[in-house]
Amino acid sequence: MEIDVKKKQENELVFIIRDSDLSFANAIRRICMMEVPKIAIEDVHMIKNESAMFDEVLAHRLGLVPLFSDSESAEALLIPSECDCEDQCPKCSVSLVLRKKGPGVVYTKDLSSEDSKIKPVHDTIPLLKLMEDQEVELEATARLGIGMDHAKWEPTTACAYKHYPHITIDEKCDQCQKCADACPRGVLEFDEKTNQIKVVDLENCSMCKSCVRVCDHKYITIGHKDSDFIFTIETDGSIPPEEVLIKACDVLSNKADKIITFCEGGS
Amino acid sequence: MIPVRCISCGKVVSAYFDEYQNRTAEGEDPKVVLDDLGVNRYCCRRMLISHVETW
Ligand code: SF4
Ligand code: SF4
Ligand SMILES: [Zn+2]
Ligand SMILES: [Zn+2]
Repeated sequence: MEIDVKKKQENELVFIIRDSDLSFANAIRRICMMEVPKIAIEDVHMIKNESAMFDEVLAHRLGLVPLFSDSESAEALLIPSECDCEDQCPKCSVSLVLRKKGPGVVYTKDLSSEDSKIKPVHDTIPLLKLMEDQEVELEATARLGIGMDHAKWEPTTACAYKHYPHITIDEKCDQCQKCADACPRGVLEFDEKTNQIKVVDLENCSMCKSCVRVCDHKYITIGHKDSDFIFTIETDGSIPPEEVLIKACDVLSNKADKIITFCEGGS
Repeated sequence: MIPVRCISCGKVVSAYFDEYQNRTAEGEDPKVVLDDLGVNRYCCRRMLISHVETW
């Protein structure tokens, strides 16, 4: 298996996996979305809420706010089910406080965290609106969780792969250029020098087959390589995409280990 | 209030809401603003374009 990084940004990672298979790529995709733990607000203790927004709605909004944490402070936190406390303790939770008086819009920048390393990714998310003389005061508890339990614990937003496209143009092609005009993604271009249709941006092809439909004699065919994938991981900013991938691989190998011990007669 | 995240994909669109509103109110083309903010998918774009702030 070969991995080739195509694009690497703060919150987005695009790479090509070669000589792999569908089930492996899909396992990685599902684990990235569902089983990589991250921190999100779980319990909200409302002390005062005089705004027009219901407590439940506000709590839900707070839950969806992505919280950034460096890997150390996230790893120092225990998963609540593995912690030996009864309800919550500093070992398995972080509390954030929101206290604000109207009028005005309350933003995530108004949330103050007890741990300076765990804080909202964005400062500009509007949480609620307060009118003149209205007040809000609450204490929120953030915990580790996984996407399988609630979407707020999903570290990824877009996490997907597509097959690596494979385009073939028959020699009999009469260079009518219809396919190049029909392609919505600029994959095909007519090369003036060689007088031929050329594939200029293969990886951008969405396999929509618009080009096949306009070709009178079906000289162009769109296929894919079964073993190659273009994988995209985009995160909400709470964990860098490389780390999501590394953790997903750890989870997958743990699962594989469990199956091996089971097969060897362990439990 | 604008939903915190895109309903389809989960991108945190609300973080760009104020800037989007201010810039479009000044007459900038919504397409340019959205491209600039990095809101690329159409599911996320509709969240900002179609939102009506009622209260
Ligand atoms: S399948 Fe679609 S994107 Fe790909 S080359 Fe043909 S028209 Fe372009
Ligand atoms: S539409 Fe068909 S015949 Fe025309 S240039 Fe494309 S492949 Fe060749
Ligand atoms: Zn605990
Ligand atoms: Zn979206």
